[in-house]
Amino acid sequence: MKILIIEDEKELAKSIVEYLSEEKYLCEVASTFTEAMNKIDVFNYDCILLDITLPDGNGLKILEELKKENKQDGVIIISAKNSVDDKIKGLQTGADDYLAKPFHLSELTARIYSLIRRKQFNNSNTIKQDDLEIDLLAKTVVLNGKAITLTKKEFDLLIYFIGNKNRVLSKSTLAEHLSGDFADMMDNHDFVYAHVKNLKKKLSDGGGEQYIKTVYGTGYKWEG
Amino acid sequence: MKNLLQKSLKQLTIYAFIVFALSIPSYFLLVDWIWLKELDENNHLIAERIENEFNEQHISDEKLAESIQFWNEIQPTSKIENAGQPLTKDSLYTIRRKNIYATRDDAIDRFRGLKTNIKINNQDYELTIETNVEETEETVAYIAMITLLFFLILVIGFWILNRRLSKKLWQPFQDTLQKLKSFQLNSQRPVYFEETDTIEFAELNATLDKLLQHSITTYKNQKEFTENASHELQTPLAVLKNKVDILLQSNDLTEKQYHIAEEMNKALIRSSRINKNLLLLAKIENSQFDNSGQIRFDTLVLQSMDALQEHFNEKKISVARDISSDVEVKGNGGLTEALINNIIINAIRHTPPAGTIRVALTTSVFEVRNSGEQALSTSLLFKRFSRMPADDSGGGLGLSIVQEICNLHGWQVTYRFENNEHIFKVAF
Repeated sequence: MKILIIEDEKELAKSIVEYLSEEKYLCEVASTFTEAMNKIDVFNYDCILLDITLPDGNGLKILEELKKENKQDGVIIISAKNSVDDKIKGLQTGADDYLAKPFHLSELTARIYSLIRRKQFNNSNTIKQDDLEIDLLAKTVVLNGKAITLTKKEFDLLIYFIGNKNRVLSKSTLAEHLSGDFADMMDNHDFVYAHVKNLKKKLSDGGGEQYIKTVYGTGYKWEG
Repeated sequence: MKNLLQKSLKQLTIYAFIVFALSIPSYFLLVDWIWLKELDENNHLIAERIENEFNEQHISDEKLAESIQFWNEIQPTSKIENAGQPLTKDSLYTIRRKNIYATRDDAIDRFRGLKTNIKINNQDYELTIETNVEETEETVAYIAMITLLFFLILVIGFWILNRRLSKKLWQPFQDTLQKLKSFQLNSQRPVYFEETDTIEFAELNATLDKLLQHSITTYKNQKEFTENASHELQTPLAVLKNKVDILLQSNDLTEKQYHIAEEMNKALIRSSRINKNLLLLAKIENSQFDNSGQIRFDTLVLQSMDALQEHFNEKKISVARDISSDVEVKGNGGLTEALINNIIINAIRHTPPAGTIRVALTTSVFEVRNSGEQALSTSLLFKRFSRMPADDSGGGLGLSIVQEICNLHGWQVTYRFENNEHIFKVAF
């Protein structure tokens, strides 16, 4: 899988590359508008991470160029602006997702994972993971041939875990992911524990192996 | 409170009254003096005429004595008497006595008298002439009446002029005042004062204009600074957050180090939250939001409550809802959502475990009540970063955002404490 990171902030790009490389993703970095344009001209990527504010141009122009050339690369906008207008404009121009800075790398990984899934398996959007079969569109989960019912939050959590396999996910990171806009307003992260506990129980009740491990006391990790 | 012109009118009226009151004795003295002077002159003329008339008769002394006696009888107010010695000096006097011609018995009149020496046939006679003169009290009364009349004309004139002046003269001032009243710093619309040819008002307008321009510029700079600063902070925060994420994945991380990293994570979440909220506040104040859309308030409230259900459960808070359907208001959807979330989350945060939260929505009021023990300080509640003493969490910006969103929409947010309940009310 090839990923292009268009980001002028060197340290940020470096972190993203470091984190994603472990996922068997092949990462390339473009730190200017011109560099990015040259790269997308020549290569195709599975996913492009696009920073809108670049020193020598607007990232949205790159997006417009991609769409003009009818390229199928998935695009996730990573912006420091986080304004609704920006988000709407980006998505209307044809971006697949929008992530506001600052974000967790696990969040980014999960988004890239879902995006590539969507792009690669257009209609039958099913993830097979160990003895689980997850339909991303219908939001159903089949374990060992038997359907299990998950709440919206539990389903969300499951996808997040699978998108971040073998990674340590701390409680606060999960809290941020789960409560979305509210995360930064809630101080008590105990609800994460409740959701993880329920998910674990449902998976083990269905006869599944226990993939979700507790690490360092308050962190979690999907091992599989 | 009285207006300026009414105040000056009162002073002017008092002054005019004093002047007019003082003028009454002055006029009286003047009129009386003229009266007496004229009468004295008149009496002298009469005396001269009598003297001349008698002398022109060229009659004998016996006849003269007879004539004088007869004259004295028909002229009771005058008298000609034989003077033993000629009067060296005329004497003038004023006397009050009964008027012998008067029909009424009790009528007392004032007379001006002259005693002078006349010579008839070279004999000295003493002539007394008395002429009726207007009484003092009558003169005073007439003058007072006229004065009062003029005083009334003057006061009524003042009053009418005053009303006209306050309308016309003060019009530029009223205009300025009206514009200042409607001025809002955060709307950033400059105020244009009307041209005026009154020096004082022109000066006032120029000074106010300078002051307002300065305030607007300062306010703008301050807001731009907040926005830029928050914006610039996003990237380093993002770098930090990602570095911590990478740190968490190290294989040789000890549990102790993990917890340190997790604490850093929490602090980062908090700084990102504060930063994000500051940015949001700056954007609302910069009017970067369109608030003319139609939004379904009830749907937003229900959505928010659904999303927060797990937090109600977590704290074992019992929730009561009384939400009217089809509540449509004009505003910005995203901001209204943030407003609802902030108020409800604030309630969740401050409700003791197993407490209650009541959410009510009517066509004009959105109200959230949560159980609590102590009233909060209303003056601090909506202020940025002013946290309640017992509250060590939260960004301290949630309610400021609520207030700013309300300001933008022209809604009213109020807080009160009743029957052990904190009540936040938004009226739109």
